[in-house]
Amino acid sequence: MSHLFEHYGAKGQGYSQPAPIAPAESIKLPSGLVRKSLPRWPRLSEPEMVRHYTWLSSRNFGIDTGFYPLGSCTMKHNPRINEVIAQLPGIADIHPMQPEHHVQGTLAIFHEMQEMLAICAGMDAVTLQPVAGAQGEFTAIRCVQEYFRKRGETQRTKVIVPDSAHGTNPASAAMCGFEIIEIPSRDDGRIDLDALRAVVGEDTAAMMITNPNTLGIFEAEIAQAAEIVHGVGGQMYYDGANFNAILGRTSPGLMGFDAVHYNLHKTFSQPHGGGGPGSGPIGVKSHLAEFLPGPVVGRREVAEGDKVTAINEEWWYFWETPENSIGKVQQWHGNSGAVIRCWAYYRRYGKDLKTMSEHAVLNANYLRKKIIDTAISQGVSDLFEDGAPIEVVKHEFTLSMGPLKEKHGVGAMDVAKGLLDRGYMAPTVYFPLVVPECMMVEPTETESKETLDEFAEKFVEVIQEDPEVLHEAPITTKVRRVDEVYAARNLTLSYPFDEE
Amino acid sequence: MVDQLPNLGREKEMLKTLGMSSMDDLFSDIPEAVRMNSPLPLPNPQNEEQIIADARRLLGANVALGDRVSFLGGGLSRNYVPASIFQLIVRGEFLTSYTPYQPEVSQGMLQAMWEFQTLISELVGLEVSNLSVYDSSTAAAEALTCAVRIHNKKATQKDTVYISELIPPNRVSVIENYSQGGGVVIKKLKHNSDGTLNLDSLAEAAGSCGVYVEQPNPLGIIDQGLMSVKEIIGENTAFIVGVAPVSLGLIEAPGNYGADIVVGEGQTLGSPITYGGPLYGIFACSKDYLRQMPGRIVGKSIAVDGNEAFCLTLSTREQHIRRHRATSNICTNETLIALMGAMHMSLLGPEGLELLAQRNMAACQLAKDRLSSLNGIALPHESGYHYNEFVVQLPASTASCLEYLDSTGVIGGFDLSNWYPDKTNWLLVSVSDQTSLKDIEMLCAQISIWCESISQGVTA
Repeated sequence: MSHLFEHYGAKGQGYSQPAPIAPAESIKLPSGLVRKSLPRWPRLSEPEMVRHYTWLSSRNFGIDTGFYPLGSCTMKHNPRINEVIAQLPGIADIHPMQPEHHVQGTLAIFHEMQEMLAICAGMDAVTLQPVAGAQGEFTAIRCVQEYFRKRGETQRTKVIVPDSAHGTNPASAAMCGFEIIEIPSRDDGRIDLDALRAVVGEDTAAMMITNPNTLGIFEAEIAQAAEIVHGVGGQMYYDGANFNAILGRTSPGLMGFDAVHYNLHKTFSQPHGGGGPGSGPIGVKSHLAEFLPGPVVGRREVAEGDKVTAINEEWWYFWETPENSIGKVQQWHGNSGAVIRCWAYYRRYGKDLKTMSEHAVLNANYLRKKIIDTAISQGVSDLFEDGAPIEVVKHEFTLSMGPLKEKHGVGAMDVAKGLLDRGYMAPTVYFPLVVPECMMVEPTETESKETLDEFAEKFVEVIQEDPEVLHEAPITTKVRRVDEVYAARNLTLSYPFDEE
Repeated sequence: MVDQLPNLGREKEMLKTLGMSSMDDLFSDIPEAVRMNSPLPLPNPQNEEQIIADARRLLGANVALGDRVSFLGGGLSRNYVPASIFQLIVRGEFLTSYTPYQPEVSQGMLQAMWEFQTLISELVGLEVSNLSVYDSSTAAAEALTCAVRIHNKKATQKDTVYISELIPPNRVSVIENYSQGGGVVIKKLKHNSDGTLNLDSLAEAAGSCGVYVEQPNPLGIIDQGLMSVKEIIGENTAFIVGVAPVSLGLIEAPGNYGADIVVGEGQTLGSPITYGGPLYGIFACSKDYLRQMPGRIVGKSIAVDGNEAFCLTLSTREQHIRRHRATSNICTNETLIALMGAMHMSLLGPEGLELLAQRNMAACQLAKDRLSSLNGIALPHESGYHYNEFVVQLPASTASCLEYLDSTGVIGGFDLSNWYPDKTNWLLVSVSDQTSLKDIEMLCAQISIWCESISQGVTA
């Protein structure tokens, strides 16, 4: 074990700093505000620090380590060119308050990203400001809210979400002040139009839905759903978490949506970084564009008087704030570093982004078929069920471990831990809530056929494992199964200095 | 593109397993009416060499702060990120992992974030820290809505919070967006002419749900008056302080003068400015606020064999469990940037932090002394104490001064009329540990020349 706070020896520092440019005596502080004792931070030399964090990294699993089929999170390979570009001084060392003529290069890239995202989603206007998917949802619902306020339709207090929706959907709408109406899905996992008809009305502000849905199923009746919601004057919001499934094949615009968020860290390969940063731009149809958070990048033809700093002979880029902007959701311009990475990624595919989605869907269907076929050939296909009885899935699929639980007392979490023992990251478990003992599998397009074949074999091996062994799993990981209840009952949220 | 898709060229073989003959079959479930039938109107794919060349050309056309003498701040500050951090942060085990839902294979990030929580707790003097929110603006916003959830029942001013009138409009706007849904009323606290908080005005905030002020405040002023805030507003009103974290190497931790929640911009610890994002927001609080706190928290636990282990905890506050009743909608956060912060804090150690704060304050004092001796300009808060930034009052519009300075290769600071429309002649000069004596001399020399031209009636 390496414990950061046990490195507390000599007064050494991990990197030496220059002396202050004026004598310490010149520093003036009100006497009452002079810090009395310094924080109990550790003292590490550079080699100790490097070794500590390298050791920690050896105890962590990333896409680089192995197959990471975490459903709904689109854990695709993160091209390393992204990281090189994001550290160029032209992005790392620029300040959001610099004048436009200092940042024409960045603005040109942002404008290109706004245009590209609008095209891919069939939207009219895009802002790059939201810094995560959940913040994108929140931002779009805020725009919808202001749209209705401007129209005097303040009676629209309800937002509809399917019971299979990501938790962020209801949470984001509730933060805006909306009441949440949850509607049940049909047995096949799809939206229930009758249930939708039963809840819409003059009080409907919006419906939030992802398509393909969280079961990986394309909502074939989405246009009808949009018609129902629009019919009562409501707005349709597209949760872009599953956008990786449909690029170039359909678009939220074609399906009838008014607003959409993009998860750049999913679809466009910003590394997930152990939990973030992400980037969650939103796109809207023209009637919502005036409410977007500001500023967004605009462009006009280069004029005679422009500074010599124009990036090309055609365009001058500038920041502009939409007329009835909701204001800001992040105080600067969003996660610019993430946007730059995703620009590099998008350039790799260009008009062939469709191929990316096709391969994501191919891999998901292939893996699903392989798992089912392997189970059938070994006579154990009765140990699990499809999350939804469906011919073709999109980028992900769900399996219910309900039968396994019933027959052998082995739940989705046990299977997950068994997969960890075989060197895989586990799929998402217990989500969506509508599938009992759910495992949600999203292989992404960057996994080879061999990886998928092997995973299918190992998966079927795990479900046949001795239940006693699975309850004990994992045994090959850096730590054995962690007691999450203990953590909640014995809260230790920081290093217990006082117990030394 | 080929280099990103291992199964390119093997589609037929895989489709055959599925009993399909073309990629179209995979999308047969998309109704004709919503199909995209024409190709995306986007340019041709590029290879890595082309992309990097374009990136260098486009980003190379930007003016990097390092190419100029810069006095821009306003909440973000030029810093030095030690080389070892950039080397470690791209380790794929960190970079390409996600939220540690499976703790047995995520101990590295979990432990690193638990250590981060400890480092932040120690820094700000409060018991609990989460593992980051997006940035300082959303941290302030989430702190205020957290305060309303905690105190609204007993508050005599229901749904009401008070914030300093100096908080810049870009942060206020975020706060408004985050709090309007809960019907929160935001009232402003007045400041004295010397820039310090007006404590008489503060008395009005007693009985409200929370008070948000910054230390140093947005004009760089270190305000001793904040030490009596908690006493004035009382137990049932949250005292929320926004900090510049490096300043806490010299300035008392707000947790030690009554703060209930401390938020701040983590950037100066471990992260480049990156055009304003990604950054990381610090969020720490006393135990009383823990269960209404937004964001992810790591707890120390045990594994089945009794060995020490870490995992996410108190998840029942969060959106994936609590859905519309969650304390926040935050899911993806800024973990990797917070990790850079943890690495930087580890390298600094307590004495390194103190030295870093001294470097910032010494540069600020030097710049203040030099500028105050120039003819034609004044420092409206000269007698006050400052960290990192201070206001210079110019003889003509700040915009014209900045334009002149820009033509000489100096980014002179921030035009405060963008924040406070009536302050057309106020320039916010920001320094940092990266500011040199030469930079300050350059700024003084150029401002002198500009002032001279103004006094002679020449428009710059």
